[in-house]
Amino acid sequence: MQVSKRQFLKGVGALLTGVSVYGATRTLQADSLLQPEPESETKYAMVHDENACIGCNACVQACREANQIPEGVTRVKIERKGPFGEYPNQSYRFSRVSCQHCEAAPCVRVCPTGAAYIDKETGIVAVNGDRCVGCQYCIAACPYQVRYIHPETRTADKCDFCQKTRLAQGLQPACVEACPTKALTFGNLKDPESELVKLLKAKPSYRAKVDLGTRPKLFHIQTIDGEIML
Amino acid sequence: MSAFHFEGLVWHWPIAIYLFLAGLSAGAVFFAIMLKHFKLFHEAWHSPFVQAAAIIAPIAVFGGLGILVFDLTRPLDFWKILVFYNTSSVMSMGVLVLMAYQVVLFAWIACVFHVRIGQLLGNRLAIVRRLLNWLVLQEAAITGILVILAISLGAYTGFLLSALIGFPLLNNPVLPLLFLISGLSSGAAATLLGGVLLRGNPNGVEVRFIHGIEIPLILVEIGLLFTFFAGLILSGGQSQVAALNALGFGFWGWIFWAGVIGIGLTLPLAFNLWMKVSADRKFAYVAVTASFSLLGVFLLRNFILYTGQMTGT
Ligand code: SF4
Ligand code: SF4
Ligand code: SF4
Repeated sequence: MQVSKRQFLKGVGALLTGVSVYGATRTLQADSLLQPEPESETKYAMVHDENACIGCNACVQACREANQIPEGVTRVKIERKGPFGEYPNQSYRFSRVSCQHCEAAPCVRVCPTGAAYIDKETGIVAVNGDRCVGCQYCIAACPYQVRYIHPETRTADKCDFCQKTRLAQGLQPACVEACPTKALTFGNLKDPESELVKLLKAKPSYRAKVDLGTRPKLFHIQTIDGEIML
Repeated sequence: MSAFHFEGLVWHWPIAIYLFLAGLSAGAVFFAIMLKHFKLFHEAWHSPFVQAAAIIAPIAVFGGLGILVFDLTRPLDFWKILVFYNTSSVMSMGVLVLMAYQVVLFAWIACVFHVRIGQLLGNRLAIVRRLLNWLVLQEAAITGILVILAISLGAYTGFLLSALIGFPLLNNPVLPLLFLISGLSSGAAATLLGGVLLRGNPNGVEVRFIHGIEIPLILVEIGLLFTFFAGLILSGGQSQVAALNALGFGFWGWIFWAGVIGIGLTLPLAFNLWMKVSADRKFAYVAVTASFSLLGVFLLRNFILYTGQMTGT
């Protein structure tokens, strides 16, 4: 009994040492992450002005074409609420639902393989299809419910600010370009001269579910008419 | 909103089975270890109950893992989970625990049954024999590590769901503990059921020992369920709505009250208490009580998984 007890303690000790060595190296890594590593000059974000949006779905269509999104799934939706008020003065409220490119992205945190990741250069939350196994943990973890399994590749997919299709060529995202009322503004949050920052400074905006601590980078400018939200 | 199909549903029943089997495996191992160390000592390998646990634990964990792999949209890419690790991902860490658990589980089984394995080997395979002897020397360490891994595995099934911050019913600190305790009790039930099916004595020392632990376990589980829902209701807002919806009169409300509370907890508790006073335990009592517990835990996994995902804000 005495021997076996000592052995048991030895085993547990070894395990604990393993864990704490692991922990120590982790903190070292974390420190080195915190330290110099020059922060990138770019952090992309988007604003949806709900006053300007007329719910025409041109953005949805443009995204589908530019990024070859098959029927049945979509990277962006325009949600319609209303009507508010009496005829003929009725109004609707249109709200964009798409990836928020969270700074603290739950999808990235839970992904077991690192297939969901934040691009350091641009702040874009992207999916590396080669690594994705389709466990759908990210889909369950995203509080904005904007991820889906692409029916052809069988990997997780979502809005990537057109990172692969248009940004690389120096173009604006397809939805921004397609919007007839200029309700969408895309740009660099870190550039004070950008349209995006000027707009955010000029008009009050809100972000969805900030209480969850995800720090989304999709900003909304709320409609003036429409319901008062509780 | 239908009970099994609704908007926002991501994880279906295969995940519930996976969570159930992983917890069950951990529980069976836990009780087999307790039996060996407190009651049976070197005779453990003769016991049909320890034998049952040694059969059930690996099968359950393999089965669970198989379901997990099968449920991926790209099952053939499963190896990527093993190669790429993300230390912030509960799933990644869980798979790591699962792998270590399986290795240590087999080492432990080899230790417990080394006499029998030795007999089977005879004079063949001297290396295996030497490995076996070495393992037996390390048994205490192996056992200790296995207890820790089993408990981690049991809790992991809850942590996997509680990491989903968008769902107030799942993102709850009590969930891992609730899943651990209910997983242990399902393991106890599976061990008992398997043991009597392998012609173990339903009135034997093993059954008495496990039943002795099962009564407090059930009471703790009831307490945790109460804490779980009281916490949700008291915190108000979305959590309150979610909890009250789940416990209401819908399909899942019935599953909870009749299945989890009634069949899964109250009846086994009553049977256990009754068996404690009556002198004699019979096959049917043990088997029925164990089946009820198993059913209850299985329903609990489904209940939490589905009602949890209904609460997306
Ligand atoms: S909105 Fe969802 S998918 Fe997009 S970064 Fe946030 S958690 Fe990930
Ligand atoms: S589905 Fe793919 S991207 Fe999402 S968590 Fe699983 S492996 Fe990562
Ligand atoms: S930014 Fe690109 S990917 Fe995202 S919704 Fe717009 S068009 Fe689609």
